Amino acid sequence: MQPQTTETSVSVKVSKNEALTRRLKQFFKYKLAVIGLIVILVQIFLAIFANSVTSYSPTVQDLTHVNLKPGSPGHWLGTDNYGRDMWSRLVFGARLSLMVGFSSVIIGTVIGTLLGLLAGFYKFLDTIIMRISDLMFAFPGILLAMLIIAILGTSLLNVVIAISIWSIPSCARIVRGSVLSLKKQEYITAMRALGASHFRIIFQHILPNGTAPIIVFATMHMGTAILSTSALSFLGLGAEPSTPEWGAMISAGQQYMWQAPHLVIIPGIAIMLVVFAFNVVGDALRDMLDPNMKSR
Amino acid sequence: MVFFMGIVLILGMVLSACSSSSSEKSSGTSEGSASGAPQELTYAMTSKIVGLSPIMTNDSVSTAAINQIYETLFTKDPKTLEIKPLLAASYDTPDDKTWVIHLKKNIKFTDGTPFDAEAVKYTFDKLRDPKTGAPRASLLAPVASVTVKDKYTVVIKTKEPYGAMLAALAHENAAIVSPTADKKQDLMKKPVGTGPFMLKEWVAGDHLTLVRNPSYWQGKAKLKQVTFKVVPDVNTAISMLQTGQVDFIDGIPSSQWDRVNRLKGIKTMKKAGTAVAYLGFNVRREPMKNLAFRQAVAYAIDRKAYVKQLEGLGIQSNSIIGPKVFGYDKSAEAGGYSYNPKKAKQMLKENGWEGKTIEMLVANTENYMKMGQIVQDQLQKVGLKVKMDTMEWGTFLDVSRKGNFDITFLSWSNSTADGSELLYPNLHSDNIGSSNVTGYNNAKFNKLVEESRASTDQNYRKQKLDEANKLAIKDAPWVIMDHGVVTAAYKDSIKGLTIDPTGLWSLYKVYKE
Amino acid sequence: MVTMIIKRLIQLIFLLIGITFIVFMAMHIAPGDPASIIGGPTATQSDILAIHHRLGLDKPIIIQYLDYLNGILHGDLGFSFQTNRSVAQEIWTRLPNTIDLAIASMIVAIIIGVPAGIISALKQNSWLDFSSTTLSLAGISIPNFWLGALLILVFAVNLQWLPVGGLDTPFWTFKGFKEILLPAITLGTGSAAMIARMSRSSMLEIIRADFVRTARAKGVKEHMVIWVHCLRNALIPVVTVIGLNFGGLLGGTIITEQVFAINGVGRLMVESIASRDFPMVQGGVLLIAFIFVIVNLVVDIVYALIDPRISYQ
Repeated sequence: MQPQTTETSVSVKVSKNEALTRRLKQFFKYKLAVIGLIVILVQIFLAIFANSVTSYSPTVQDLTHVNLKPGSPGHWLGTDNYGRDMWSRLVFGARLSLMVGFSSVIIGTVIGTLLGLLAGFYKFLDTIIMRISDLMFAFPGILLAMLIIAILGTSLLNVVIAISIWSIPSCARIVRGSVLSLKKQEYITAMRALGASHFRIIFQHILPNGTAPIIVFATMHMGTAILSTSALSFLGLGAEPSTPEWGAMISAGQQYMWQAPHLVIIPGIAIMLVVFAFNVVGDALRDMLDPNMKSR
Repeated sequence: MVFFMGIVLILGMVLSACSSSSSEKSSGTSEGSASGAPQELTYAMTSKIVGLSPIMTNDSVSTAAINQIYETLFTKDPKTLEIKPLLAASYDTPDDKTWVIHLKKNIKFTDGTPFDAEAVKYTFDKLRDPKTGAPRASLLAPVASVTVKDKYTVVIKTKEPYGAMLAALAHENAAIVSPTADKKQDLMKKPVGTGPFMLKEWVAGDHLTLVRNPSYWQGKAKLKQVTFKVVPDVNTAISMLQTGQVDFIDGIPSSQWDRVNRLKGIKTMKKAGTAVAYLGFNVRREPMKNLAFRQAVAYAIDRKAYVKQLEGLGIQSNSIIGPKVFGYDKSAEAGGYSYNPKKAKQMLKENGWEGKTIEMLVANTENYMKMGQIVQDQLQKVGLKVKMDTMEWGTFLDVSRKGNFDITFLSWSNSTADGSELLYPNLHSDNIGSSNVTGYNNAKFNKLVEESRASTDQNYRKQKLDEANKLAIKDAPWVIMDHGVVTAAYKDSIKGLTIDPTGLWSLYKVYKE
Repeated sequence: MVTMIIKRLIQLIFLLIGITFIVFMAMHIAPGDPASIIGGPTATQSDILAIHHRLGLDKPIIIQYLDYLNGILHGDLGFSFQTNRSVAQEIWTRLPNTIDLAIASMIVAIIIGVPAGIISALKQNSWLDFSSTTLSLAGISIPNFWLGALLILVFAVNLQWLPVGGLDTPFWTFKGFKEILLPAITLGTGSAAMIARMSRSSMLEIIRADFVRTARAKGVKEHMVIWVHCLRNALIPVVTVIGLNFGGLLGGTIITEQVFAINGVGRLMVESIASRDFPMVQGGVLLIAFIFVIVNLVVDIVYALIDPRISYQ
């Protein structure tokens, strides 16, 4: 741990601009990460301008034009078994998966970080919080989500809640780990000796220095959240069927896989691309931000 | 890499398009046309068998197996649905509250216990006993007593005249069990009946193997062994049929019908069934209380387009009592409200319901989600807002019973194929809070249904049912989505399979060529 | 070491009691009544009350919980609401399938993951490294129900090399091997990816470690350096990942069992949650949690054994 602290304190002296360009250069060294970043940017673009890039509503049916193949006039990605435009559904699905991913990651990370900070800083809370997180770890993720949805009912919002809860313990562990090591450092011990308030120490000194692993966790978790949403939709526990959620689209499309394979291929590839993108970007971020990983 | 996977997938799809020839070869050669084909059959079902006691179960999968092991006093002819004696020899009704049933002689349960009046009394008393907690105890609810007159005669007395008695006695949940076996073991696990097959092995949740009953009273079955295998994913089940791991499946979803029909070496069967699927209004709430609103919704739904979505696996009709159910009369079709979106829009506008939000409750199984999505879209096109709530089946049952919805979808399989058994549980006010989810309560209708139940004169009953049916169609607590079609797909080497309109089948006469 | 194990076992007991409480309460709070599911839409109100009584659901909830705990202390997990069979027996018939599937997937994951990670570490920044990294990332990114359907389509339906589904024989026999191959690949890809990443990074770290340099400097042959010095040390963190992943695999079996028609504990859990079969869900979750904790305990012990630097006070 020691050498890394000196490294961070040195880099503080370097002008911010220079540090940024250095990091950017480092980032572009990871070719995959650049591809991933482009995919994410495209997704964000589609999510924001969903209304402008599509000419149909994603939910309006046209029962006279069902299962059109990709390349059909007016529907370049074809239509589904209710005659809904696949391109519109794909684009609005991009918006949904970003929303689901972001909101569950934000909820999970905020709560997880708070618990992690408390557990790491206060010894008496540590045991309680960590035992509870052990308890949650012992449940397989999907099973935990299924139980939560059984209580709350099936809806996309409840999927978000279930996935957030499921991510809390891992996040709390990571944060706790970095708090434990930061706590021992001289300047923190010094501040405590000087009588600085705990609140100030935690939020002004420990948290900012421990953000790197949180950001990495959050990015990687975006992928997991999107995948889990689709898995829950596959089990019929996710979005209501007319919403263009990618997992629900695959699950519904599977019934027509033999007549209209595009119903399954298109959302499947979309999920893979996006999850892949978040994973490679997360990987690259970890290499850059997490000093422990630098040598790898 | 991602692109590579995509390519593999697309390749897979292309391969699948031209693969039917290979599957034809395999299914052709493996079974062969020799008469020495092994007399064994594998059936795939999408959920597990819960138990094998007719008294303690009430789900279609368990019933499919129970139907091979046990027998009822009466049975429905699979084609005409006419009720005829099975374990019974004959019956007479000295007065309209007394049924004297004469039993067939020299029949034995597979544990050696003789089938007699005691066994019938034992079974019915157990089914009726509140302590048993039988799910279909209501079948014999009107019964006051069951007495043994002599070894082969049972007398059933009812509290009031019970018109659907024979239909109830022909119901699989009223099948006769061996009293000696029931006293010493759990029939859910170790069933003993008089039927053509008996249990050999059961790996819970995976498969159930039956072998033929060597001393079956109508002569041995041709199949030596039958396996019921659980395959939860329909896609997988059909793939297994295609590759020959499975011989027979039923209840094929409409989305798969086209695929199944294109499989080589596989035969399909479909015929009109007794099940009915409907949209139900919660008539206790505004605006569903108003006939005009219900009419407007009925006008807004293009049921022809919906039935077309079902790939022919549904029959379009306005009548609540379906064509295959006792009490149906063709004239009922004229009474409904056919598709007319303009009129719907106008009616909604006139009454100030335009833009109103309707809560639609939908169970998360494929068929209901299909109805839900189509109706949601069509109602939105005439100016309503529809909020769809999907739930798991278990939650759905609870919520719909409590009446927490505006509109919902349900179906009724009607295993007795009798109109009274459709109208009474679903629309009579006695059953509000349980099976009457819409809360429909109409005194005139109630009276007609009671009359249809209380008589044993079948012509009179039919007339009352028809009147009640027409009244309810006009009043529209339900909009009929479709009447069901029963389906099966099986290897072409399998002969002698018939399915009755309630979806049940017997493997007694089935054989492999 | 021994005290560590005892301490962990005591914790395990509290953990399991905590789990019974959470699952018990969760199932009772959840909307949906087991009796109305057993009765189906045809059951009348009195039918349902009778079923309630038969299942003991008419007692106060605290009494029900205490009864349940009391049963567990006597080694009785209760009876399934749906099938009336003992929960232990129901789980016991399905457990071998799930364990087979989890182990087979783990083997697939190790066979793919470890070599891929090592090769890409040894040839760092080559095209081999690049493609194996991409491959392993793609492995985590594929929804596994999608992959399963695809594998069935290609290898079972079109090529007919392997059966579509079902698992009737143990996986070490030829027939069982054919049956489990597709499900194991479906489930194993995600873990393979994680193992590959872990092997790669820990291998990279070791290659640069002092003792390896010393070995090289002493003139030890290159392949000896790699196989003897690096590999053994590099695999230590990999073992942890394998342990953690095993728990994840148990969860992953839920979807794989569904797609491949395997009669396992995961599928039993899906059915039991849907049918609100309380004793079944409680028993199943308890068992899965138990296995998870034990596997991790074993991993920690193995970890301590292969790495003398770690000690537990």
